[in-house]
Amino acid sequence: MRFINKLQKPVVAALAVAGLVGAPAQAHHSFAMYDMQNVRVFTGVVTRVDPAPNHLAIFFAPMNEERKNVLRDENGEPIIWSVEMGGSAQMARQGVSVNAFPQGTVFSVAMHPLRNGENAGSREGGMFKCPERTPPAAGMHCDSVEGSIQIGNEPLPAPTIE
Amino acid sequence: MLAATFMLSAGIQAQQTAQMDFESVGRGWPLAADAAEHEVTGATFRGGFFQPGVPRTFLGGAMGGEVPEGIEPLARDLFTSDDFYADRDLWTDPRYFRCNSSAAIEDLWGANATGNQIMGPNPPATAPWGKCENDYPREAIVSPYPFRTAQEHYEALMAETKKRGGPTRHTYATVPGEWSGIYAHPGRTNQYWYKMRYNQIPTILSLLTEEYQTYYVQEAYHHGNTNAPQWQSQYCWPEGFTRRFHEFAVWEHYITVTPNMVQIVAGVARNFITDIHIGREFNMEGVVPRLGADVPRWYGETIGFWDGDALITWTSNIQGWKNHAAPEHSSMMQTIEIYTPNHDADGNFTGLNHETVFYDPQVWVEPVRIVRNLQKQNEFDDPDATPYVFIECIQSIFPIDGRATPVSHGQVIEYEIPDMYGRPWAHYWEEYFEQDMEKPEEEDIFSFE
Repeated sequence: MRFINKLQKPVVAALAVAGLVGAPAQAHHSFAMYDMQNVRVFTGVVTRVDPAPNHLAIFFAPMNEERKNVLRDENGEPIIWSVEMGGSAQMARQGVSVNAFPQGTVFSVAMHPLRNGENAGSREGGMFKCPERTPPAAGMHCDSVEGSIQIGNEPLPAPTIE
Repeated sequence: MLAATFMLSAGIQAQQTAQMDFESVGRGWPLAADAAEHEVTGATFRGGFFQPGVPRTFLGGAMGGEVPEGIEPLARDLFTSDDFYADRDLWTDPRYFRCNSSAAIEDLWGANATGNQIMGPNPPATAPWGKCENDYPREAIVSPYPFRTAQEHYEALMAETKKRGGPTRHTYATVPGEWSGIYAHPGRTNQYWYKMRYNQIPTILSLLTEEYQTYYVQEAYHHGNTNAPQWQSQYCWPEGFTRRFHEFAVWEHYITVTPNMVQIVAGVARNFITDIHIGREFNMEGVVPRLGADVPRWYGETIGFWDGDALITWTSNIQGWKNHAAPEHSSMMQTIEIYTPNHDADGNFTGLNHETVFYDPQVWVEPVRIVRNLQKQNEFDDPDATPYVFIECIQSIFPIDGRATPVSHGQVIEYEIPDMYGRPWAHYWEEYFEQDMEKPEEEDIFSFE
């Protein structure tokens, strides 16, 4: 969308009405690495928002079931996942930016996980940011917390796999 | 001491401020001292790889394990300490750094081809001394203007310009087209404090907040003591905004002037593109003023206006990053930069005075100023003009055990993906060289107990 010029605007508007603009993104890389048949849902603590191309990514430590801390490896270090989404400018317009998601932010996101099982995925559906330092109740996500901020118009998808 | 005998290049000029015919509220004020009249603090060599034909001469206080006459060394300093964090109380004493500037310390192990014989027989303990009597004055570094923010500064200059009948709305017929062309490498034609060769380190530290003091000394330690430089360009990382002002990061400047856009292109390991949007206004609703989306940009976004033939600009929305041998900057940094034409005695255009005031309250306890002059050397259509070379950096140096190491095709290395927005250079230092140091505690962001 960043490359739309004045001459293209009417065409894009027509496409938007037809519901076509939001369909396949004009990606900088193939998304075939992700398992588009499955969805995982996480609530995690932001460690870094990386706005650089290819696309904006949020790095985060998934929270434990109690939502009191994060999942850790055998050395006690937080396990880090990342979720990739749209371009940084496009995401900023949705409210996802370095400034809006500082380190320590608690949020919930659904993703299509990598086919190879590594700790990354491609965002799916709506995303929710909890109020500052206010994680959800045990087993719940930020969409259950009063005062949370919804990113995008869609709800947080239900997981197909844990 | 006059530097006429020291100027490294024949094109060096006195550090003049803008040529103006009125007294402005916020530009062209005189400098408290001319860096071109100051000798470097050292220790370094004159001559060598970068100055062929210049006799190799030591510039400094003492080398080879010696101490300058009349100086009592500290029992523990940057070159003998095993934990610079624990030495914080010593940082205010130039002797902790052996009276070296941060650029000199960067050079000691041979960074800029000075040759590491300057480190003496038992490095780093035998590191040389700079000249303790040399120091560019702090009052010449801080901004002379009364403004606390870039916004205040820009608005004051705009108000002044309006009083003078501006801002000037140039057309293609009136825009100063003589600005378009190629300007000489400013690091070779100017002396200014930000080369970091003229100051004792405590003078620079006195201008920094506590957090950025630590970062600055951390880098000096790993330049001078552990010899583990982490320069951004060695890994093809982004150069970052403040590298525009570094001695070696930008060479010739290619400037194109139109009525609503002035573009400045420069670089050597990366491309620096400054697009000055004439007549635009910032969106003031975010954490920092910006033009586009809420995404920090490596080289910021710039607006500007003309006051006659002077161009007044404001840059914001800059990604925080590092320099080397100079303090890091934060994403809160904003600059006011003013370009004013220089003319010779006959009224011929010779180039641009470039005055920059840095506002970054996370880093600098007071705004600071750099004054340089860009000397025009070519028109774009000169037959001997070198076209701008667009740079694509291809990484061949990787960190191995925390040290920058060239690797060969087919070589397999263990490589940790850096957290590019989390001071990745410091990660290598902390992981490989600071394990036994008493570092400041970090906030636990993961516990919600």
